[in-house]
Amino acid sequence: MIQTEHLTKRFGSLTAVNDLNLRIEQGEFFAFLGPNAAGKTTTIKLLAGLLKPTFGRALVGGYDIQEEPTKARRLISYVPDLPFLYDKLQPMEFMLLVGRLYGMSRGEILSASEELFDLLDVEDVGQQLIENLSHGTRQRVAIASALLHNPKVIIIDEPMAGLDPRSVRAVKDLLKARAQDGVTIFLSTHILQIAEELADRIGILNHGRLIAVGTMSELREASGEVGALEDTFMALTDEEEREEAPESI
Amino acid sequence: MNAFSFFGLLLIADARMLQRRVAALRRQSWLMMAVIGMFVASYWIAAYSILHFGFVSLAGLPGLGSLLLDRMLYLFFAFLFLMLVFSNMIIGYSSFFKSQETQWMLTLPVRHIDVFGWKLAETTVLASWAFLFLSGPLMLAYGAARHVGGWFYLNVFLLFMPFIIIPAALGSLVIMLMTRFLQRRMFKWILLGLGCVALVASLVALKPMDMVGAREAAFNQLLQNSRVALEPMLPSYWVASGVIAWGGRLDWRGTFYFLVLVSNALMATLVCVTASGRIFYSGWSRNHSQGEIQLGLPVFDRPITFPRTAFLDRIFDFPAGMHAAARALAIKDIRTFWRDTSQWSQFVIFFGLLGFHVINMRSVAYDWDNVFWSAFVSFLNLGATSMTLATLTTRFVYPQFSLEGRRLWIVGMAPCGLKQVLLQKFWLSSFASVAITLTLTLVSSWMRREPGWLTLLLSATVVLMSFALCGIAVGTGALFPNFGSTAHRRDDNPAKIVSGFGGTFCFVVSLTYIVLIIGAEALPFYFYPAWAKGITETYSWAVVGSWIFTATISLVAISMPMSLALKRVESLEL
Repeated sequence: MIQTEHLTKRFGSLTAVNDLNLRIEQGEFFAFLGPNAAGKTTTIKLLAGLLKPTFGRALVGGYDIQEEPTKARRLISYVPDLPFLYDKLQPMEFMLLVGRLYGMSRGEILSASEELFDLLDVEDVGQQLIENLSHGTRQRVAIASALLHNPKVIIIDEPMAGLDPRSVRAVKDLLKARAQDGVTIFLSTHILQIAEELADRIGILNHGRLIAVGTMSELREASGEVGALEDTFMALTDEEEREEAPESI
Repeated sequence: MNAFSFFGLLLIADARMLQRRVAALRRQSWLMMAVIGMFVASYWIAAYSILHFGFVSLAGLPGLGSLLLDRMLYLFFAFLFLMLVFSNMIIGYSSFFKSQETQWMLTLPVRHIDVFGWKLAETTVLASWAFLFLSGPLMLAYGAARHVGGWFYLNVFLLFMPFIIIPAALGSLVIMLMTRFLQRRMFKWILLGLGCVALVASLVALKPMDMVGAREAAFNQLLQNSRVALEPMLPSYWVASGVIAWGGRLDWRGTFYFLVLVSNALMATLVCVTASGRIFYSGWSRNHSQGEIQLGLPVFDRPITFPRTAFLDRIFDFPAGMHAAARALAIKDIRTFWRDTSQWSQFVIFFGLLGFHVINMRSVAYDWDNVFWSAFVSFLNLGATSMTLATLTTRFVYPQFSLEGRRLWIVGMAPCGLKQVLLQKFWLSSFASVAITLTLTLVSSWMRREPGWLTLLLSATVVLMSFALCGIAVGTGALFPNFGSTAHRRDDNPAKIVSGFGGTFCFVVSLTYIVLIIGAEALPFYFYPAWAKGITETYSWAVVGSWIFTATISLVAISMPMSLALKRVESLEL
């Protein structure tokens, strides 16, 4: 469903994403990990068609995001770490706008929104303006709006930031259910437990390069660690740092 | 989704949000609404009265009246056209490339060209409405001077619609090409360069006119100097010609120019959307692919590497008694300001307009040997400078304390305490204001060859006013802090902080202070003619008295809000 071929993005002399080759199947829950400034958000923006790659290409549902952006974006939902919402609209009004932009009827939007709001516990703020909502509630409204049109691919950046434990649980359940329904999830996170709990496969990015990809057991095998993902992650990224150290010195 | 459906949905959402904003205005404090209403009404009444008087006087000049009146319109629209192009460039840059909404739209299943089209429409409205609002009294006064009926105003309104589209398309096209093909860090320098070219051009082009000579020769010179506005390929020429034609009841001629404008506006939109729409996404991606590159003046942005000290740190080493924390905060404030393009561009526009006004003053003819007239023009200048300064201190200095909101956990907990933060903001803003206003005052005095005593008087006044207006802004900013408006935002928006009760209060207090000071200083010149004839000594005493009054009021304006604010921050709960 998602495929990248030699995907590379350079910012001047800095290579943020370096020759990324990745294939994520339909219905797969893929978690993308990496230290700060590893290139995760840049990769996500390349997949969402917000940035042009310096080399290579990204395909979503078989469509090249640069060549056929409208067709590709019809399949995608992208939720950034700080999503945009219209402050002077109410949550349901925002859902109506987003639904209409994806060609849904009013009835479809209302029923889907009610279901999503119920699942994400947003229903009791219906009459309030978005500007008056807490960070966590805004995040839940953004996630609800992203799932409204039943996308085939969900690209989501740090979805749990600022959410309380109940909301984290609700978002996790929702994303997992969507993956079981055949939706491809590409989730970027710093919370290793979430990746460990939800993901079918995990990719680890460091300095723009994909240093490891596979299931939990495959990553454990590659790192030689048998413990939690945290140990595996530390082992793999430390190894990478050690390999790079002589060059930087 | 096609473009019309996309625009329609966004229009509905925008209409709903506008309705909410209007409803929110009704819930604002009545004081704020009354002040805003009073200023709007005062501007329209004052501008209409002055312009109407000018138009009637000009029209009354035998032979030349009508010609001069028309020429003035051509000049006004030429200037308006340039301002609209510049305004569209600045607003367009924010709207096309900096807005979070644009990023969201680019992830929707709509064509990039449609997103560009919507943003172009948004930019056109945002960049043009204020200019149209400001030119309203001019059109009313012109219509009244020409004794036209209500249809004239409707026609002029229709004429303005295609007129504002042309500079919007032009400005957007230029900004799109610049973003697509130039490095972002060159951007500020290009804008700054354009500003300098405009400044030098006005210095060269606006030559003083000798109005003392024969009236015919002076008029000839005036007409000769303003011929550039009569270039028939300029959109400003078409709109001015349309207004003049409809003002003279030449309906067919007016309709012709309206159609010229409509056809050119359509063509400009077509060219802009076709050309810019294609490169919009590339430009957007390029603009957001340069995030890691340092921006701005190299000396401000150079990374600090030890043991070498950065340029700004070396500058702030000079004030020997300066508290280390105050020094660090001052450097932080300067760096933050410089890197925030949105603040920077508004600041340049404010002072660019003021600089233009000061330069322009030298081309206005007066009998400079007459002290009364010289002082009158000087106080007019002082009024313009201090009003602009009051706008600036309210817009930029007042929100400073509130902007620390999310950072108060660090500055508030630091050993220096919030008092030091407040004092640092006062001193930094005061010295920055003095540097700018004193320079403008001295340049203006030098250009108009003012007598030394008047230059000294105006310079001392402007220094006092700078300190007082900054004291009012910093003080009220701390007395009415607004830490809540940025809770959910990545971008701190000072404009939102200013728009509350505290911002309005700060502006009202600042204006009251200005009126008191200028009134007190200008009053002695009422007695000048009698003093010049040696009839009375009142003039000398009035000058001394006015200065004591100015100094006292300024000290009160500095100390009262600042001392209240210093007490307030002592008990502030973080």
